[in-house]
Amino acid sequence: MKQLFPLPHVMGFVFSLILSLVALAVVYFDLSYTAGMTILLITAIVQASLQLLLFMHIGENSDRSTLYTNIAYALFVGVVTILGTLFTMVWGYN
Amino acid sequence: MKIDHSLPLEYSTEENRLKVLGFWIFLGAEIALFSTLFAVYFTLANRYGNGPSAKEIFELKPVLIETFLLLTSSFTIGLGIHAMRLGLKKAMMTFFMITLVLGLGFLGVEITEFVTYVHEGATMQTSAFLSSLFTLLGTHGAHVTFGLLWGTAILLQVRKHGFTPETANKSFIFSLYWHFLDVVWIFIFSFVYLKGLM
Amino acid sequence: MKWDEFFVTGEPMIYASMVAIAVVSLAIPIGLTYFKKWGYLWNEWLTTVDHKRIGVMYILSALLMLFRGGVDALLMRAQTARPENGLLDAQHYNEIFTTHGVVMILFMAMPFVIGLMNVVIPLQIGARDVAFPRLNAISFWLFFAGAMLFNISFVIGGSPDAGWTAYFPLASPEFSPTVGNNYYSLALQISGIGTLMTGINFIVTILKMRAPGMKLMKMPMFTWSVLITNVIIVFAFPVLTVALALMMFDRQFGTQFFAMQNGGMDMLWANLFWIWGHPEVYIVILPAFGIYSEIISTFARKNLYGYKSMVISMVAISMLSFVVWAHHFYTMGHGVMVNSVFSITTMAIAVPTGVKIFNWLLTLRKGKIEFTTPMLYSLAFIPIFTIGGVTGVMLAMASADYQYHNTMFLVAHFHYVLIPGTVFAVIAGFYYWFPKVFGFRLNERLGKLSFWVIVVSFNVTFFPLFILGLNGMTRRMYTYSASTGFGPLNLISAIGAVGLAIGFIILVYNIYWSVRYSPRDTTGDPWNARTLEWSTHSPVPVYNFAKVPTVDSLDAFWFSKKNKTPLAEGAYEPIHMPSNSGMPFIMGIAFFFAGFFLVFSWWLPAIIAGLVILGTMAFRTFERDHGYHISVEEIERTEEALRGERK
Repeated sequence: MKQLFPLPHVMGFVFSLILSLVALAVVYFDLSYTAGMTILLITAIVQASLQLLLFMHIGENSDRSTLYTNIAYALFVGVVTILGTLFTMVWGYN
Repeated sequence: MKIDHSLPLEYSTEENRLKVLGFWIFLGAEIALFSTLFAVYFTLANRYGNGPSAKEIFELKPVLIETFLLLTSSFTIGLGIHAMRLGLKKAMMTFFMITLVLGLGFLGVEITEFVTYVHEGATMQTSAFLSSLFTLLGTHGAHVTFGLLWGTAILLQVRKHGFTPETANKSFIFSLYWHFLDVVWIFIFSFVYLKGLM
Repeated sequence: MKWDEFFVTGEPMIYASMVAIAVVSLAIPIGLTYFKKWGYLWNEWLTTVDHKRIGVMYILSALLMLFRGGVDALLMRAQTARPENGLLDAQHYNEIFTTHGVVMILFMAMPFVIGLMNVVIPLQIGARDVAFPRLNAISFWLFFAGAMLFNISFVIGGSPDAGWTAYFPLASPEFSPTVGNNYYSLALQISGIGTLMTGINFIVTILKMRAPGMKLMKMPMFTWSVLITNVIIVFAFPVLTVALALMMFDRQFGTQFFAMQNGGMDMLWANLFWIWGHPEVYIVILPAFGIYSEIISTFARKNLYGYKSMVISMVAISMLSFVVWAHHFYTMGHGVMVNSVFSITTMAIAVPTGVKIFNWLLTLRKGKIEFTTPMLYSLAFIPIFTIGGVTGVMLAMASADYQYHNTMFLVAHFHYVLIPGTVFAVIAGFYYWFPKVFGFRLNERLGKLSFWVIVVSFNVTFFPLFILGLNGMTRRMYTYSASTGFGPLNLISAIGAVGLAIGFIILVYNIYWSVRYSPRDTTGDPWNARTLEWSTHSPVPVYNFAKVPTVDSLDAFWFSKKNKTPLAEGAYEPIHMPSNSGMPFIMGIAFFFAGFFLVFSWWLPAIIAGLVILGTMAFRTFERDHGYHISVEEIERTEEALRGERK
């Protein structure tokens, strides 16, 4: 039975639950917008990396450098799309 | 077909390695897809016209249940792949089934949530904010639905053929898909719900 | 719905097209039955997963679409040839410039480029097929379904009429009440999914299936350009997918994304469209750069100057292409900060592009230049494209753009970029690789004749538009009064358009002539070229290479010819090949019907077609197909026959 529940997986699961609870703080405490967004960004990014590295085994693949480039490029395009759209459509819009 | 036994079954043939890489690139495209949906949502989040705002309709409880269900399902499918590498067919199938049941539960809660919104007069047609909300959540939900069908098809194949390079490869790729849906949910949870309730 | 809403009525030209469509769709099955070609068509083409045949089908469809889009263009130029002309009414003109843009970019330029990729890339990297041959067939059939769906719009239901950019609020149901823009959202969606899968397929192919020894920095330049193009495809097309889905929701489900009330934002459409749209420009231009690099280096008999800087500049272009999109709508209401940022990023693109121009020029320097037809196109490209590029920098300056935007100057600019950049390139590539696929060259004399007609007519057609634009003629106006003085230049432009049409007719005649009379090539290397695709026979056997070549340098084939060392050694081995499948074709048909029913909001039939699509996917996942092997004896037989040793 024990071999079915490897420790890193269990730890990862517990850790992601804890991170979700930490993120909840922004609802229950009266934080500034900046502080709230910082917490959300950190908890979300850590959780996403956890999935990527631990559960999706990105590092064990023989093409790992391709995979990291792929994810990096996707994130570049994603961030540009999100921030760029906000820049043109909200922040910089008359 | 050349099978390389030094590698896990899902990577053991050249065809399998091509498929895993191809799927990762597809996930890259999915990142771009969801980023665009997030961009639309963030642009329109405060443009609710005469309809309700995010604070007025969001409820924490169903969202927490959804988050817990999806996080757990991501954990169990990870265990399923671990069991597959140990060659334990029964354990792997059990974990996959638990994953699918949790996914079904997630969908159930999400549908109830949508029905509640509609009853409160918050439909997809009410305002730009709600259009973008329903589209973002709905796209994720549609992915989960497709995942349920796909996962079932794979389970049937594992049951029939056991672990072959082909079925192992399919199961592994499906697990990548499922984890990815969890990653997307984490961002929805944080930047749609929690930010909306902040 | 009444029948006269379903079919487009009231236009003699449309009735003529309807008759033509009916005749052709009757003639094809009758002809196939008469000549007993059903089996051939099904076994050799409709079910094929061979990258070369899929490439040929892409290119054939692209040529077909080139003529469809070309007829649109001729009609527009005819309408504006003189003031107050009554050939087309405003609505018809709107539909024609919309379909011209969509067809030329998405159903001509892209499939032509993808067709050449399909034919050339596996050969150029020494592979036997693409990574996912079945997926490749699905890509083609989805593109084809989308193209056909878009093309029936002009007789059934009415064509889209809000421009190829389909800006809101013009494209909203309020201002475009016909189903035209439903066709736009669904046809582009279906072919876009196909394109996305092509992107994934070719990235994996190029990264994982290169011949042993071919390191990334030893890849031919066309392969590099295709790799980068496909990276852009994979990350840009999802944006289009979302934008089109939102357009469909707004038009057919009453959502408020781009509405004028309830919080909607019409400009968000333009924003999303161009986040995809600008990278799209580079999707059709970068492979062209690759084609020119191959051709220039082959016919200058020199290796490509500045290989590394070529690669770096293409990578730079791929990143920059994602950060310039707002220059398409400088005048639409955002502030100085936004315009300044996008102005700078836009001008920055001129730098890597300039690097490439100098690299080509320096490749030519001291070369023993051979003026073949593909080389002539490549040489014409350099100065003409530079005009397009420089006018692009003029448009990139946000404050100056307030003068140029929405005028014929812009129209002239992007035709000066896209025609030499893409159309000349795909024609050059067509001439260059034609003998590889069919085993004989196109006639050079006819080729050069059509080249001169096309290049001269191109400038006659589009140069006057620069002046018209500076004089204040806006784009997309269907007529103008004589007092504006736009008449003479428009007439010159119309004459040029006729010249272009003649040039393309000569091209088609050349294909016909060459099929009948051109001498067959037995060497497999008619141009004395440098890259691996020329090391195998023409036409290429189904397995591409009898023995997988080994590569130890750039232009390995060139050095193997020079040093007389063989590229591949050892004995033949059985070759594993993927088997044909009718599933992609059936899937294409299902997508076509799903799209068609959705256009008219016929939900039940659409759901049934959707279930058929799911059914084909389920069939695929439960299918156990491991392909087949070609035996050593069969390879020997084929090779001997191709060498002409056995008849």
